[in-house]
Amino acid sequence: MTREHAISLIVHTRNSEATLPRLLDSTRWAAERILIDMQSRDATIEIAQAAGCRVLNTPVVDAVDPIRNQYLGEASQEWILVLDSDEYLAADAHEALQQLIREHGANFDAFALPRFNSVAGHIMRGSGFYPDHQVRFFRKGTVAWQSGHHHLPTVLTGPLRLRRLEPPHCLHIHHENYVDVASFLERQLRYALTDDYDADPANFDFGSYVAEAYAEFARRHEPLQDGELSTAVATVLAWDRIVRGLIHWERLGRQQPLNGAFSLPIALAVPGKQTWKTVPMRNVPREISRWIRRRVSRRRH
Amino acid sequence: MELTAIIPSYGQVALLRTCLTMLERALALTKLPGTAIVVVDNGTLTPYRLAEFGVASVRIVRFDRPHSYSTACNRGACEMPARRYLFLNNDVFIHPEAIAEMLDVMREHKAGIAGTRLVLPDDTIQHCGVKFDGGERGPYHQHHGRPTAIVARATSFPQAVTGAALLIDHAVFTALGGFDEAFPFGYEDADLCLRARHLGIRIACAQGQDSLHLESFSDRRPDRHQASRRLFFERWRGRYAIDGDENG
Repeated sequence: MTREHAISLIVHTRNSEATLPRLLDSTRWAAERILIDMQSRDATIEIAQAAGCRVLNTPVVDAVDPIRNQYLGEASQEWILVLDSDEYLAADAHEALQQLIREHGANFDAFALPRFNSVAGHIMRGSGFYPDHQVRFFRKGTVAWQSGHHHLPTVLTGPLRLRRLEPPHCLHIHHENYVDVASFLERQLRYALTDDYDADPANFDFGSYVAEAYAEFARRHEPLQDGELSTAVATVLAWDRIVRGLIHWERLGRQQPLNGAFSLPIALAVPGKQTWKTVPMRNVPREISRWIRRRVSRRRH
Repeated sequence: MELTAIIPSYGQVALLRTCLTMLERALALTKLPGTAIVVVDNGTLTPYRLAEFGVASVRIVRFDRPHSYSTACNRGACEMPARRYLFLNNDVFIHPEAIAEMLDVMREHKAGIAGTRLVLPDDTIQHCGVKFDGGERGPYHQHHGRPTAIVARATSFPQAVTGAALLIDHAVFTALGGFDEAFPFGYEDADLCLRARHLGIRIACAQGQDSLHLESFSDRRPDRHQASRRLFFERWRGRYAIDGDENG
């Protein structure tokens, strides 16, 4: 008979009544479940208490990652699993976690688990959404989060003590990210508005945000994996880089030069006959304006 | 719940969708007041989503790692306890009246386990009961490959039926502790039936309806049964009645 290792679960919530039951249902085996709630106004707390969770209240913050550290000490068990309220685990997760500790607990302090992400009901296979490793299972006191959104936490005992689980056929986190593209847009904008930006004007270059937008589109656009949804996601994330550039520019007092020609993200299609004429071609990046002129002259001939 | 159907499955979404469509229709014809379907997603590379199936009342149990058929079946049964369980392979397209017939056979003959006739696409028998040879052959499908039209339609009472479509009473399933998870792949159904017979449970096989079985469609590895076969013979050699070898 192998010894069972007790695991503490920590979940951060805010108005999570729609997704929390699924998470709680998939983690019944946890020795303790701690809910860090940010002033929920729905039934989140009632659901958690009915499931036997310990609930701690915290003020509303823009980004969860920076406050994760202050609650890790609440866990009483040696091993901690951190999930977000819109995540859940498979039916064989407990067995898989026990096996990880048994087989690798002596040599590793933290595990990066791959994550399935779902956008508009589709589980993304490409577009930078998979395998999307997350450091969420670790020995108490060995992991610390950084400020800002979506930065991987640091393994304090060194990178060699981190083990990545390689798919397929291994434990995953299951994440219902966005029910539709509109909520994806809404969340990206919120992240952009609440993120940290470099306060040194010398480091600001709007052109690099534009360049990142192109790079982001190229990285995310994998229609063979995710079809039209890949184009939608890539466009939103390219647009996100431009928006962040503008937010950063404003935070610095709107003193830095913006090259208007580069503020448009990617021209994905030739504008209609009436519309394109209204676009001052001098404001369009040279490569794009050449491309549009070529398309238009081909039409005329 | 009167009946829960459990389908362990890996990949093959279109196959499973068709299987579920047929199953939903057959469950409706049983006229039982409460039925449910549990699909055990046995580690499919991209997890199953309900929307893929277009069937109203399906619950998905997700495994991130593939488990044995036995483990998947047992977990599926835990998910939705019922008076009876129907275990079904994802490559069985059940005849609309087959489950109703299996239920009738169970009631009429006081059987604790019932199977049903399964046919291959060329209308030959895939399964109409399992027989046991005294030699190395061990358990085998009676009349396998014979035209279904020439095999008698009377309900039979074999020592075992296939787990590809197996109906079992909750009380019997619980008394047996479910399928034995020591079997990695195959022979767990014969083991379950033999253990049931040792408890005095009757096993029947309905023969009135032909359901299509695309036998071993999901896994055609030639050695897939080897480990289970070894375990089966270690446990059962000399402990079952000899039906003889119908080809011998």
